[in-house]
Amino acid sequence: MAKVIVRFENGDPERVIEVDLRRAPFQHDGRPGSILDVLLANGVPLEHACGGSCACTTCHVVVKKGFDHLSEAEENEEDLLDKAPGLTPTSRLGCQAVIEDDDAVIEVLVPRYTINQISGSHG
Amino acid sequence: MAEERTAVLAAIQDHGGERRSLFLDVPGGIAFRPGQFISCLLPIGGERLIRPYSIASSPATPERVELLLDRVPDGPGSGYLFGLPVGARVDFTGPWGTFVLDRAPEVEAVFVALGTGIAAIRPMLHRAAEGATHPLTLLYATDQPIYREELAAIPGLTVDVVAPTAAEDEIRRRWLERDADRTRQFFVCGVGDIVPRLRDLLRGGYARRAVQYERW
Repeated sequence: MAKVIVRFENGDPERVIEVDLRRAPFQHDGRPGSILDVLLANGVPLEHACGGSCACTTCHVVVKKGFDHLSEAEENEEDLLDKAPGLTPTSRLGCQAVIEDDDAVIEVLVPRYTINQISGSHG
Repeated sequence: MAEERTAVLAAIQDHGGERRSLFLDVPGGIAFRPGQFISCLLPIGGERLIRPYSIASSPATPERVELLLDRVPDGPGSGYLFGLPVGARVDFTGPWGTFVLDRAPEVEAVFVALGTGIAAIRPMLHRAAEGATHPLTLLYATDQPIYREELAAIPGLTVDVVAPTAAEDEIRRRWLERDADRTRQFFVCGVGDIVPRLRDLLRGGYARRAVQYERW
């Protein structure tokens, strides 16, 4: 079982999820076994305005632990991340970052804002 | 989470085949940037599916927005939207997206629209033409060139319609092989693997940031 620890910059309570990756996908948005897939299936809200199709940055997370246990980012994800506020060297899009190791311990921080929410008056 | 809003389907325009425009009335309007999309929240199968659609209309008409879509075989989202009658309510969030154009490019700009990718490109072209000082070209790769007359009337814009299968060769010939100018800027939008393929082709000759794209 992989373990995913989710912290929120807005102060929401931390969540800890244990997941059997062999059962992925757990729902329909994002890549099967991705951070978004795991979080949504466990009732953890993570914004994903484009439906998890790698067309926005709203599912941006900062990976605090376990970065090397995630799938490598592709160019489309990297291009989008370039436009994400609060970008860090371990930033990923939750819809694209697939947990690849069933023993992995992944810790992610969900930032407070996304650029899309800042730029849109009705965001 | 994002603020939800509700629009009303005000009009439907069939373009033939399985392509259709939906016109949504949005009380209070949507303040969006050319190229952005909204995400429709569709009640299907006991769930709410998120389906993003580029806004095909102008920011100058924020209270009536146009979405352009194809009916996807076995696609629950497009199937649902194609079944909606005028007057139906559509919940959505947005605007979203970073594939945008806010002002006329300061270099020659080439827009590549693949099929319904014209939806995001259309308002970008109108914005680009406002105060344009450099050539603007639209390569419209489609069998169904909707908006053709409107696009042809945009001042300073050259419109070239090609078959979808010809886009790659056309780009290679015109903007990679014909000259050594590498100051151009590209905006590519469409559906499927053709988009990253064109991105890679263009980035083989131009700087990474000179090639902006959105892949659906």
